[in-house]
Amino acid sequence: MKKLFTLLALLTLVTGGALSLAQDMVEYPSDMTECQVDLTGETFSIYHFGDLSGPNAFITQPIVAAVTDAVNFWNSRGGVCGAELAQVYEDTGGNLEATQSTYDRFTSEYGDDLDILLLYSSNDGELLREQLAEDEIVSVIAAGSIESLYGEDGQTPGWLFASNPLYINQFGFFCQFVAASPEIFPDPVIGFVTWPGAFGLAGTEPAAAEYCAGLGVEVLPNPQIFLPTDSDILTQVQNAIDEGANILYTNSLATGPALIAGTLVDLGMEDDIKLGGVNWVMDTSVGLLGQRVLRPNGLPSVDGMFGGMPFLWWTELQHPAIQFVTQQFTANQRSPVEQNIAYLLSWGMVDAIIETVIRSVNTVGSLDAMTGADAKAVIESMDYAVLGGLLQQHFAEGMRDATHNRMAVMKFANATLTGPATGPEDALLMPDGSGGQLYVPLVVPLTDFMPVPQLRG
Amino acid sequence: MTEFIRANKRQLTWALYLAAAVALLLFVGDQLAGKKAARIVQTLISGLLVGGVYGLVALGIVVINKASGVFNFAHGWMMVVGGMIFWSFFTVSEISIPGALLLSAATMLMVMTTASYKALLQRRNLLTALGGSLLLCLLMTIGGSDWQWLHALTGTAAGAVLTGLAVERFAIRPLIGQPLFTAVLMTLAVAEVLHGITQIVWGTVELNLPIFVDPATNSRFKPIRLDAFREALGGIAIIRVELVIAFVLAILAFIGFILFFRYTSVGLAMRATSEDQQLAQAVGLRVRVILAITWAAAAFLASIAGVLQGGAVGLSLNISFVALRVFPAVLLGGLESVSGALVGGIIIGIVEQFGTLINSSEQAGTNLAPYVVLMLVLVIRPDGLFGEKRIERI
Repeated sequence: MKKLFTLLALLTLVTGGALSLAQDMVEYPSDMTECQVDLTGETFSIYHFGDLSGPNAFITQPIVAAVTDAVNFWNSRGGVCGAELAQVYEDTGGNLEATQSTYDRFTSEYGDDLDILLLYSSNDGELLREQLAEDEIVSVIAAGSIESLYGEDGQTPGWLFASNPLYINQFGFFCQFVAASPEIFPDPVIGFVTWPGAFGLAGTEPAAAEYCAGLGVEVLPNPQIFLPTDSDILTQVQNAIDEGANILYTNSLATGPALIAGTLVDLGMEDDIKLGGVNWVMDTSVGLLGQRVLRPNGLPSVDGMFGGMPFLWWTELQHPAIQFVTQQFTANQRSPVEQNIAYLLSWGMVDAIIETVIRSVNTVGSLDAMTGADAKAVIESMDYAVLGGLLQQHFAEGMRDATHNRMAVMKFANATLTGPATGPEDALLMPDGSGGQLYVPLVVPLTDFMPVPQLRG
Repeated sequence: MTEFIRANKRQLTWALYLAAAVALLLFVGDQLAGKKAARIVQTLISGLLVGGVYGLVALGIVVINKASGVFNFAHGWMMVVGGMIFWSFFTVSEISIPGALLLSAATMLMVMTTASYKALLQRRNLLTALGGSLLLCLLMTIGGSDWQWLHALTGTAAGAVLTGLAVERFAIRPLIGQPLFTAVLMTLAVAEVLHGITQIVWGTVELNLPIFVDPATNSRFKPIRLDAFREALGGIAIIRVELVIAFVLAILAFIGFILFFRYTSVGLAMRATSEDQQLAQAVGLRVRVILAITWAAAAFLASIAGVLQGGAVGLSLNISFVALRVFPAVLLGGLESVSGALVGGIIIGIVEQFGTLINSSEQAGTNLAPYVVLMLVLVIRPDGLFGEKRIERI
């Protein structure tokens, strides 16, 4: 608990510092490789497709906004080594048939130009894994299931490189945190209350349960599954509690964690049962949607929810990467709901792709000569601080996912912006535009970046 | 033996189904035996309340089917559009007067030209359209944000009517006389069009619709806790107020539509049209107008369901998938039965919840149980519990 308060105090300094930020233009923070080849007159496209209108749209849609802003930014400063930057994207609506047909169209239409593909769904990654290898296309993906990155045997690194740690590794990391924090989690028993599918069920593998058991953390064998369309999940939550869970863990987005937290408050168990989840639960959307239900202390239901945070977050304004993205966000007049994980991460992924292209072109001599295999070789050898430290990219020795993570807790800002609120009296409340008021969510890091356990078998 | 089976085929088939049903009940009973009474009561409450909303969604699909024989695959997207329109009026503090006027005028124009565009040539109709537009616009914009409910309800009603009439006019009406299957496929196309429009106008980001909010606490209504029964049930059971409100509204909508179909001339005309469009036209019924009213009513029902669902979990494109979950309820109750939609919805809601109670890990509640029940019922009653038995005479 002492650690928690120390880190909360750190946040105080962080957010306090943010207020004093100068209004000057912030320099692009990345320490990029210098161009040795002039690409003036050429165009380099960022290709991406994914669920922009289906079940995950509310978290992935800001990706388009961020890539658009990044493309405009780069072109405003002369492009990448002189080449104009463009983007080509398609909405697949979370439909795997659409994913396949879009991939087929991209590969036939853009052929040799398509060396790097940006993806953002585990299901898409699993579907396209073999095809990407066959077509020699590198994919940078904002997701992390074992099968997509390492194949069915968990031992065969493919052509996909993830920006986050594998979800199973994130769960193992959560178990580490639980085991190391007996004052918060006495006699821990974790029950999954989660979405279905590759993303939702990642971490429910026996290897994860065995690892956690070795740390003294019991994991219930039966995950409780609910759908994004469910309006009532009392049954699932009570099932987990009846089986002995005192910690609920979820791989779900936006409404998912908010619904679980709200149900715990409805049951009057918000203090007895802790809630944690994968890195995506630490999102603005959860902070906003979790305000439908308030805890008895007057703060939103998701106040105190734990989650992984493998990269920097919006509130860490002392860091140039966050200062820069925040400035771009404001300059492009993006709406508050777009200020989420996906927007932040997409700037980082564009940065990583551009660095990969520069290094590849420096080696092979031209954009035309660059192949997917060149890009793969570059990524595998890179040890790169994306956007100057937003996240670390290090894929040596067959790694295909991020190796470090840190734990964080969701809190809500106080009125003086010096730390988290303790109740509605000292909370920062913003008008929501319809006569109501909104709490301002904060993601407070609880640990430093640390290696995650490798649990893929 | 073969002779015996052949002679008693029907009885043996029934015996087989009966045995399957008994086995299923025994299995469920065994699974529930170890559960606390509080969990069973809670599951029943949740199933009933969620089922009420399913029933409301099912009602919209049934209304269209009852009047036109078309199974409307666009109903889920009509829910989304209705919910989004409500959100636009409910959460925006200053309503755009030109926008409201445009919506009002478009709605009135569609209403006045339901039978024919020539209606606009009559001065009286023109004046009615103009007056109606101004009145609607006034209701959508009058007062400040304290009047948000009036703005939202008027705007949503106008938007729903406009959506329903537009779908009927431009997608369904041109297919009158064509095979029914063509119209069903057209509803799939309409679904995609509404999907696209929703994305363009409202984006894809999840929206908060704070309608079930207690003004005193500015948060969702606190659930009703059945503390008085805690000892008897061996635990606590709760009732979520927003689901109760949704359930009550669903019941009211059902009562309204049952009365409408039974006692109003338009309702009776709808039933006649559903029996035989050509015959209905031959006896002087204005089939086009009746179909238009039906689509407008269905869009209105979809909007109510969209608002209720959006208020309960947030407004997102996912709401459209609720309609897919309701299909078993529609088939279970009977495609043409208004009361069947409610009963089907409630049965599916309860079955889903008990399936989840017994085995949530394999999604038995949502993926398996409703369809097992549907299969059992359809085998015994192919037209659903309350569906009309069709006899084709050659």
